[in-house]
Amino acid sequence: MSGTSSVWLVARREIDERLHSRTIRIVTAFSIVLVVAAIVAPSLFHKPAKPAQIALLYPSAQALAPELQRAASASGVRVHLVDLTSGPAARAQLRQKTLDVALIVSSGQAVAEVRQDIDPTLRAVIQAVVSEEHLRELLTVKGLSPAAVAQALTPTQLTVTTLQPAPPDQSAHVLAAIVTGLLLYMTIAMYGQAVAQGVAQEKTSRTAEVLLAVVRPSRLLAGKVLGIGLVGFLQIGLTVGAGLIANTLVKRAEIPSTVWLLLPMVLLWFLLGFALYAFACAAAGALVARQEEIGFVTMPILMFLVISFLLMYVAVATPNAWWLTVVSFVPPMAPVLMPVRIALVHVPAWQVALSATLTLAAAGLVAAIAARIYSFALVRGGARLSWGEALRLSRS
Amino acid sequence: MNAGANASRVLRVAGLRHRFGDRLAVDGVEFTVASGEIVGLVGRNGAGKTTTMRAVMGILQPQEGEITWRGHPVQFADRLRFGYMPEERGLYPQMKILPQLVYFARLCGLDRATAERRAGELLGRLDLAARAQDLTIALSHGNQQRVQLAVAMVHDPDLFVLDEPFAGLDPSVVDELSRILRAEADDGHAILFSSHQLDLVERLCDRVVVLEQGRVLVAGTLDELRDRLPRRLRVKVAAPSGWEQSLTGVRAESEDGEGVVLDLDSDADDQAVLAAAQAAGPVEQFGYERGHLVDVYRELVRR
Repeated sequence: MSGTSSVWLVARREIDERLHSRTIRIVTAFSIVLVVAAIVAPSLFHKPAKPAQIALLYPSAQALAPELQRAASASGVRVHLVDLTSGPAARAQLRQKTLDVALIVSSGQAVAEVRQDIDPTLRAVIQAVVSEEHLRELLTVKGLSPAAVAQALTPTQLTVTTLQPAPPDQSAHVLAAIVTGLLLYMTIAMYGQAVAQGVAQEKTSRTAEVLLAVVRPSRLLAGKVLGIGLVGFLQIGLTVGAGLIANTLVKRAEIPSTVWLLLPMVLLWFLLGFALYAFACAAAGALVARQEEIGFVTMPILMFLVISFLLMYVAVATPNAWWLTVVSFVPPMAPVLMPVRIALVHVPAWQVALSATLTLAAAGLVAAIAARIYSFALVRGGARLSWGEALRLSRS
Repeated sequence: MNAGANASRVLRVAGLRHRFGDRLAVDGVEFTVASGEIVGLVGRNGAGKTTTMRAVMGILQPQEGEITWRGHPVQFADRLRFGYMPEERGLYPQMKILPQLVYFARLCGLDRATAERRAGELLGRLDLAARAQDLTIALSHGNQQRVQLAVAMVHDPDLFVLDEPFAGLDPSVVDELSRILRAEADDGHAILFSSHQLDLVERLCDRVVVLEQGRVLVAGTLDELRDRLPRRLRVKVAAPSGWEQSLTGVRAESEDGEGVVLDLDSDADDQAVLAAAQAAGPVEQFGYERGHLVDVYRELVRR
C-alpha cells in the first residue's frame, strides 16, 4: 500500500466518522447562525429612513414641487410626492399612515397637515421652500426681473473645513474582528480537541495496535490531521459562504472591501492555525492512559489559543497598539490575532506573509516533534505520560 | 506434527531480548512457525507472550534479536500480509462492522471491491452477516471477538498472530473459532497464537512453545513434550496398597478408588511393576496414562 493512499484512507475514515457526528452538525449550524447574525444585525438597527410621503394640495402647492425636491435632496432628506389633490383624501391617508405631510399653500401662508408630528429637518426644508417662494413673489411684485430675483435668492455658499476629520465609524470593523476571532478560536480549538480525542480513543481502545501493524505512525498521524482538518475547513467554509450570501442579501455598501479580504484570510488562518495546533494535540492525545485525561494534556496547548481569544477583546479597543502588531507575528497567537488585526486596520501584505510563514514553519517544527512523541507514546501501556517524560523518552 | 513438519518454516524468531525498565520481558526467545502449522505460545502472565507477538508485528522494536520472514528480516510490506489480533482488542466502537472490516482490509492493500467481497464472505463465515450494519459497540463480547478475528483474517494473511484469541469466550464459540483456525492452517496459513488455556492449546496446536520468565522453557510437538513426562502407570490391584514400595525407580504419585498412579524413572522396568502387582493380588487394571499438556507444564514449571 503506497503512502499517499494509506494517508487518504485514514483521512477518509475520519471524514466519514465526523460528517455523521451530531455535535459537528450542531456546531456548524451555530457558527453559521453567529456569522449571519453578525452581518444581518447591524442592518436591522440601521434601517435607512423611508422617504417622507408628501401630498401637495392644489396648484399653488404643486408649483413648489421642483423646488421642494431640490431643497430636500440638498438637505439629505428623501421625499416622495404623492399625487393627491383633495383635502379629505389626504387626511384619510394621513390617518392610515400612508401619507406624512399634506401641504397647502395660499398667498402669505402655508399649512402642513401631519398626523402627529413632523421630522424637524423636513419641517425646515418645507419652511425654507415656502419662505423662498413667498420672497420670490414679493420681489417679483416689487418689479425685479426674474434674473435679479434668481440672483437675490441664490444662497451664499458655505464652505466647511475640518481641522481633525472625525474617525470613520468603527463599529462594523469591531464586529467583523470579534466574529473573525471567535470563529477562528472556536473552530481551531474544537478541531484540535477532536484530533486529541481521536488519537486518545485509538490508543485507549487499542485500535492503534491493529493500525500500527499495517500503517506507519507518521502516515496515521498525517491522515488523521488531514481528515479532521478537512472537516473543520468545510465547517468554516460553509460558515464563511453563508456570511457572504447574507452580506449580499442585506446589501451593505460599506462592508465588501473588508469582507472580500477578510473571508479568504479566515480560511487561510484556519488552515495555518489548525496545522499548528492539531499536531500538538495529536501528541497530547497519545500521552493519555484514559479518555478523561484529554483535557489535562491539551490544556497547556489550548491555553495559547484562549489567551489569543482574550487578547482579541483588548485588540478591538486599541487596534493600533504596538503589542498587538508584535503578537500577531507570534505563531501560537497569529492564527487568531493576525486576522483580527486585518479586520480592524490596514495591515501591510508583507506583515501577513511574514506572520503566515512563521506560523507555517512553527507548524512544521511542532509536527516533527509531535510525530516522534506520537509514534512512541501511542502503543505504550501504563499511566499517563507527562510532556517532559514524553519528550525525553521519545528522543532515546 | 502434521503437514507443518515438511513445510517451510516461514517465521523465525531468534535471540529476542527486550527490557522494560529493569524488567527483562523476553530473554533470548527462539522459535519458528511453518506454513500450515498452528504454534501455541504458552506461559503464565508476564512470561513474555505478548511482548514476543508485538515484536513480530513490529509494534515493539526489540532491543536484541532477529525476526525473519521467509528468510529475510521482516519488512513493513511483509506485515501487510500478517493478520494481528492484539491481546486487548482494538476496534472502533462507533463504526459499523462491515465498513470497519473493509477499512482494515484496504489499509492492508486490498482494493475496494476485493475488500468488500472478502469482508462480506467473512461475516457470513463467522455468522455475523445479519449484523453487518450494526455498530461494533452494540455487539456482545463474543461477537466483538469474532469481528476482531475477522479483522485479522480479512486480507487473507499468510501469518496469523493471535494474542489470547479465545479469552473470555464460551466453549461453543471457542469450538467454532477453533474450527475456522484449523481450516485456515490446513489452507497453508501459518498461525501463531497464545493462550493460557492449555486444554485448548493441546487440542488445536501442532507445536507448543512454553515461555517462562521471558525464556523458552521447552518447545516441540505435543508428543515430544509428553515424552518429557515420566512414564505414568495406573495399576488397580485387589489388595492393600504398599505393594509398590519395594520397587526401584517407581514413585507413587497418587492413589484413589481407581488404583494407584505410579511415575516410572526412565530405567524402571514396567514388567517388574506388573509382576509385583500380580504377586500382591489379582490385577484389575494396568496401563499407561496419557499425559496432558497441563501435566507437562506443571512438571516443567515445578523444576
